[in-house]
Amino acid sequence: MFFHIVLERNMQLHPRHFGRNLRENLVSKLMKDVEGTCSGRHGFVVAITGIENIGKGLIRDGTGFVTFPVKYQCVVFRPFKGEILEAVVTMVNKMGFFAEAGPVQIFVSNHLIPDDMEFQSGDMPNYTTSDGSVKIQKDSEVRLKIIGTRVDATEIFCIGTIKDDFLGVINDPATA
Amino acid sequence: MPRRDVEDDDLEPEEDDEDYGEDQEQVLEEELEEEEEEDEGRGSSRRKRRRSDFIDDVAEEDDEEEEEDDEDDYGGGSRKRRNKRPSGSQFFDLEAEVDSDDEEEDDDGEDDFIVEGGGEVPEEDDGRRMHRRPLLPREDEQEDVEALERRIQARYARSSHAEYDEETTDVDQQALLPSVRDPKLWMVKCAINHEREAAACLMQKYIDKGSELQIRSVVALDHLKNYIYVEADREAHVREACKGLRNIYTQSIKLVPIREMTDVLSVESKTIDLARDTWVRMKIGTYKGDLAKVVNVDNLRQRVTVKLIPRIDLQALANKLDGREVVKKKAFVPPPRFMNVDEARELHIRVERRRDQMSGDYFENIGGMLFKDGFLYKNVSMKSVSSLNINPTFDELEKFRKPGENGDGDMGSLSTLFANRKKGHFMKGDAVIVIKGDLKNLKGWVEKVEEENVHIRPEMKGLPKTLAVNEKELCKYFEPGNHVKVVSGAQEGATGMVVKVEQHVLIILSDTTKEHIRVFADDVVESSEVTSGITRIGDYELHDLVLLDNNSFGVIIRVESEAFQVLKGVTDRPEVSLVRLREIKCKLDKKISVQDRLKNTVCVKDVVRIVEGPCKGKLGPVEHIYRGVLFVNDRHHLEHAGFICAKSHSCVVVGGSRANGDRNGDSPRFSHLRTPPRIPQSPKRFPRGGPPIDSGGRHRGGRGHDNMAGALVKISQGHFKGYKGRVKEVKGQTVRIELESQMRVVTVDRKCISDNFSSSTPYRETPRYGMGSETPMHPSRTPLHPYMTPMRDAGATPIHDGMRTPMRDRAWNPYAPMSPPRDNWEDGNPASWGTSPQYQPGSPPSRPYEAPTPGSGWASTPGGNYSEAGTPRDSSSGYANAPSPYLPSTPGGQPMTPNSASYLPGTPGGQPMTPGTGGLDVMSPVIGDNEGPWFIPDILVNVRRSGDEAIVGVVREVLADGSCRVALGSSGNGEIITALTNEMEVVVPRKSDRIKIMGSTLRGATGKLIGVDGTDGIVKVDDTFDVKILDLANLAKLAQP
Repeated sequence: MFFHIVLERNMQLHPRHFGRNLRENLVSKLMKDVEGTCSGRHGFVVAITGIENIGKGLIRDGTGFVTFPVKYQCVVFRPFKGEILEAVVTMVNKMGFFAEAGPVQIFVSNHLIPDDMEFQSGDMPNYTTSDGSVKIQKDSEVRLKIIGTRVDATEIFCIGTIKDDFLGVINDPATA
Repeated sequence: MPRRDVEDDDLEPEEDDEDYGEDQEQVLEEELEEEEEEDEGRGSSRRKRRRSDFIDDVAEEDDEEEEEDDEDDYGGGSRKRRNKRPSGSQFFDLEAEVDSDDEEEDDDGEDDFIVEGGGEVPEEDDGRRMHRRPLLPREDEQEDVEALERRIQARYARSSHAEYDEETTDVDQQALLPSVRDPKLWMVKCAINHEREAAACLMQKYIDKGSELQIRSVVALDHLKNYIYVEADREAHVREACKGLRNIYTQSIKLVPIREMTDVLSVESKTIDLARDTWVRMKIGTYKGDLAKVVNVDNLRQRVTVKLIPRIDLQALANKLDGREVVKKKAFVPPPRFMNVDEARELHIRVERRRDQMSGDYFENIGGMLFKDGFLYKNVSMKSVSSLNINPTFDELEKFRKPGENGDGDMGSLSTLFANRKKGHFMKGDAVIVIKGDLKNLKGWVEKVEEENVHIRPEMKGLPKTLAVNEKELCKYFEPGNHVKVVSGAQEGATGMVVKVEQHVLIILSDTTKEHIRVFADDVVESSEVTSGITRIGDYELHDLVLLDNNSFGVIIRVESEAFQVLKGVTDRPEVSLVRLREIKCKLDKKISVQDRLKNTVCVKDVVRIVEGPCKGKLGPVEHIYRGVLFVNDRHHLEHAGFICAKSHSCVVVGGSRANGDRNGDSPRFSHLRTPPRIPQSPKRFPRGGPPIDSGGRHRGGRGHDNMAGALVKISQGHFKGYKGRVKEVKGQTVRIELESQMRVVTVDRKCISDNFSSSTPYRETPRYGMGSETPMHPSRTPLHPYMTPMRDAGATPIHDGMRTPMRDRAWNPYAPMSPPRDNWEDGNPASWGTSPQYQPGSPPSRPYEAPTPGSGWASTPGGNYSEAGTPRDSSSGYANAPSPYLPSTPGGQPMTPNSASYLPGTPGGQPMTPGTGGLDVMSPVIGDNEGPWFIPDILVNVRRSGDEAIVGVVREVLADGSCRVALGSSGNGEIITALTNEMEVVVPRKSDRIKIMGSTLRGATGKLIGVDGTDGIVKVDDTFDVKILDLANLAKLAQP
């Protein structure tokens, strides 16, 4: 799920950035530092949409660096258990398939793939229904439900299922 | 078992009389007799009957004795006689655990004691009684139950078992345990398998000799071979009693510690009822150890019908049935396989299909064996199966589920599994599900755990707040998506997310291996921790690079209970081998770098893309480098824990090298990226005149990977000179060190630290990182060249010194064209190494020292080079900055100046100038090291062609592409071959070997290794007779001419 929230961060700025463009420098550094990161609490920071407030800078002894508390608005993405997501399949193997929804990697185990879909190995491994009408392979788009998440320092890993009503392939690259 | 009977009881007091004080026992006896007298007539008949019970089991000879017994006991016969017989009966009891009379005696004794004796109950007696009780059920079966019942009723109408049981409390029982006053139990060796016989012999002896034998009882336990127990007060009594018996060896008589006495006689609880569907293991026969499932229990006949996976050799069976000769092959047990009736028919084995009267099921009967659904149904004695500690594994259970049986059957059999549960299995808050009884499938959470019962808070509404459920009826419950940790069983320690729940079996997706593991719900707990199970055996940890026995190497990709799975360093195909701890020679922890396909330097942590070979297209950070082989970890690669092994030449560094950057000349790209941060540093550097490290601080911080942090260092200069401490933090040029001797953290200049790190790795590492992140735009060797160059160009130096950017700019530009020649260096052309004047150890370096003042800034740089990692990076950054368009903005750098000034006090600029400059050499290997081995003629190498043994050879010539012409043989008189760099390994010299220096400024020089210190070698150089300390990696053994 996406959220638009306000976060705060202490930015250390090198003295060489001081001057007219200090603010710009600060913002660009903030973007560089923050966008794409992941925190267990908020999920992935997708984009910074605005700066709320930049506090007073504090000069650090010994280094000359200045610390600014910056409040910024950002869009974060955090997957939740039970959430329905659309994701792109990145890899298929006999144990299931991996899909990505933006920065989040989701694994769908073969136990969580409908029973009528069977794994077909080959140079393009895929899961296919017995009648061959539905096929999950790399680059397929699937709708899945997240049943579990594991949050590490740097990534969020999810387990999903497509064994439910209205879940499964939504767009097949082969037919598209 | 000690005397169990009333006879004992009756008798015992008398014996005791003899042995110790009479008072108490006498009283007791009197009481007993009184009691007996009351119903004497009945009593004697009782006796008789009791006797006869024993006789059932043991021997008829007792008959007479009984009669005597009766007379004796109650007719007041001579003491001698009395003693004799009772003791005889004693032995019978002891021996006959199976005896049926115990209960009667229990009652009997109890009546006597409890009614009359009250507090005086002899302690031993009840101790015994305790042990007797478990035998009851069996007795019932062995005797004619009804008859027994009748008898009991007739005799003991006045008391009942139930009463007895209720009356006995724990405290009473406790009081009855043997004490020091009681006779001791001695363990005596006897002929194996003659335990009973030995006991009977002793008994006979007692009968014959009577009171001469001062032992009390003899016990032969069925489960204890080679020993019998004798109860007596002294060892001498035992010895005496055993004298002359050939079955008993009195050499070793051991006293049973008082605490263990009860254990000797406790009966292992055999009362685990074999219910249907429990799992058992076969104890004997072809199926020994096999898992079996109980399908029918016949308690009366002590037999069970079990379902097994047949181990039948059809061919042999066919032969046998045909009456042909069967070749008995011993030690061959056919593998378990489901019976295929058609197959059997093909072999002309008669298969009958019959209906079982009992169950109404149809069985295939082959040669007297019953089969159904491929399983063998076998009727065996209860004794031949064991139901304790079954622990069926998954595979076994899986097989049993074979045809169309879904998990339902398993549920019942769970009870067996639960028997193995540890204490404290359930914890408050655990999610559980009821699997048996009325509440089946009710989910809830554990609220409280008592001994047997677990109080759960049911999930369903409308139920009482908590319910007490027997723990056997509960099973842990997990839902898909839970993150769990396996706490017992084969997969212990692994963590993962539950993907599927099949009854009590969970399928977990392991966090590390991304594989499915199947575990019992009982074995896991919910946890947010992420591990892969055990990650370490001995010194080796998961993902370590290790050198194996046969000189191959690989990365540990999985740690199993006793072995490692190692992905070998073979590049053409992934090769995994199972390696035991002792097969690992050592951990390879070298921080080296190699060149990728485009001759960019690759270091550990650099992200590379594999462009050739089976793993083409994979991308990931390099985890290890060894012998030109990279171990890349691709997150998306599922096999081998994500590790891929690839030749360095088939990889390309992606983006900027994290650690290293790119030293090889595509500077412009990086200089643009990197320049801005650099500029401010410049002012700092010059004023200080010392090696500037500054930028390192920030970058270091950013990287979060400072190899110095945590290192043990010694402060070599300044106020804290001589102190040792641990580096807490590296901040720019300063280092915060926690002093060992004083409880405080001090900030000192980096330069003031002497580099006595525990190993030399930091040495090597530092420059690597230093150069890596800070010097992306210059080839690794730049520092060396430039150092020299400005020195030679005396004019330039002053300009630099204390100079501001614009000038420097000018000064440095001329050197930009240096790169092409440098490229030659990268190509590893040894000729240039040798010839380059800059590298002649003698002359140029001396120059800087001759020019003290202005040059000092420069001269010290090399010094800084060794004392600190940063120098090269910085000086080169200087170069990089030079052409940079950002330079004009340098004023931004101004603020830094005070900063650097702060370093000044701690930085006696002269330091690098001191004789310590010899250390320059120490450093140089570092740079050489980064390039991998640079072969040089006349050194000894081990040539390893794929699959062959390593052969020693002498490098004759180094070809342009880095490969060498090698003359095989240690003196180089063998065949001459051409070997590639990665096929050769320099022969590491030993102390007092003649060596040739491959790296550093002394490259090409020969010398003698006069000592080895860790990874450093102390070398006496031939030409100059200087003693130098060089990295061993840069030394090669010189071939003997």
